[in-house]
Amino acid sequence: MGSLTPADTSSEGGFFTTQINAVVNWGRKNSLWPMPLGLSCCGIELMAMIGPKFDIARFGAEAARFSPRQCDVMIVAGTLTWKMAQAARTIYDQMPEPKWVIAMGVCSSTGGMYDSYAVVQGIDSILPVDIYVPGCPPRPDAVIDALLKLQKKIERESPLKDIFGGPDVIDDRGTDQRTYQPNAAVDKSKLDLHPHDPRARRGSVAHGEPEAKA
Amino acid sequence: MSEETMKAARDERRTATMARIAGALEGTRAKTAEVRDATPCILVRPDELTDVLTRLKERGGFDTVTFVTAVDLAPATPRFEVVHQLYSIAHTDRVRVKTAVTEEAASVPSCIALWPGAAYMERECFDMFGVRFDGHAGLKRLLMPEGYIYHPLRKDFPHQGIEPDRLYREWDAERRREFDPEAAR
Ligand code: SF4
Repeated sequence: MGSLTPADTSSEGGFFTTQINAVVNWGRKNSLWPMPLGLSCCGIELMAMIGPKFDIARFGAEAARFSPRQCDVMIVAGTLTWKMAQAARTIYDQMPEPKWVIAMGVCSSTGGMYDSYAVVQGIDSILPVDIYVPGCPPRPDAVIDALLKLQKKIERESPLKDIFGGPDVIDDRGTDQRTYQPNAAVDKSKLDLHPHDPRARRGSVAHGEPEAKA
Repeated sequence: MSEETMKAARDERRTATMARIAGALEGTRAKTAEVRDATPCILVRPDELTDVLTRLKERGGFDTVTFVTAVDLAPATPRFEVVHQLYSIAHTDRVRVKTAVTEEAASVPSCIALWPGAAYMERECFDMFGVRFDGHAGLKRLLMPEGYIYHPLRKDFPHQGIEPDRLYREWDAERRREFDPEAAR
């Protein structure tokens, strides 16, 4: 835990503001209601993720709604065509603020293998994307990881800056939380290796290093 | 069944199909030109197409249409070949009718009076190749968005498309203008 520090009255971002932000962010990040925009095969994996086996209720995101007006995070799962782009953008516009977007799969992230006249080459040309999930399709674990990273990102937002002032994004320096930054390097263990990787079983070689000669 | 008996059975079936086709087309100029993939192919001119299809349906027993599509033979002329493949449910055999049309006069008579189900296939063919089907009441694009002006399955269409995002961008600009006329200016 970060230690309590006296309010810094000389700058805008004071002690009080930060705590209110933390409470609001805590509420937001733990009740992310997904808008499942299942456009093709990735949608099937998204259904698996929302189902009971992967249980995203653990992260407060189990309430998938099919009305954009009740959703916080749009998960674009699948190949977005230009014909569908207008519908996707309309759905995004109908979602109330605050809202976030997860691009699930290579198709929505980059167009994937569909280098074609019909397909949007990455939904970031029509929507502001927060998290990209690679994979074709990504496993539900990967999307859950994206959800957790999104939660980390939401933690650093400053939702009340219109009222109290303060920075757009809360700086995480001095919080003593090493993994606060979503993409900060984390220690690799053999658990990060693919289960078929022989090094994972032997457990002698650190991840990323060349395999030692026997 | 031995190899010879199978071949004999195949030949017998083929002969029977050919005889039915020849009987149905008796008195017209059209006749079987070749056999491809064990399917007899008939080459017709656009003005004969309706007559040939009607005869094949009513006298030849080819009662369903499997597909209506086109082939872009560019740079050859005539450029397009419209293909109707028919199937006989009773005799379980097929026949293919090919109609050559030029790029300038890329239109053939519609066959929705014979098979109403062909309407979607003709729309798709129009969408992808730009071949018109005369007599089709709702010849609109099927897969590509309304307002798109190119035909993607033509040979001269690049696979990444020509301005694929133009319709979206126009819609988006219009929407932004409605929402906030000041900012869009
Ligand atoms: S990324 Fe793969 S699985 Fe997902 S929509 Fe594209 S092709 Fe399908």
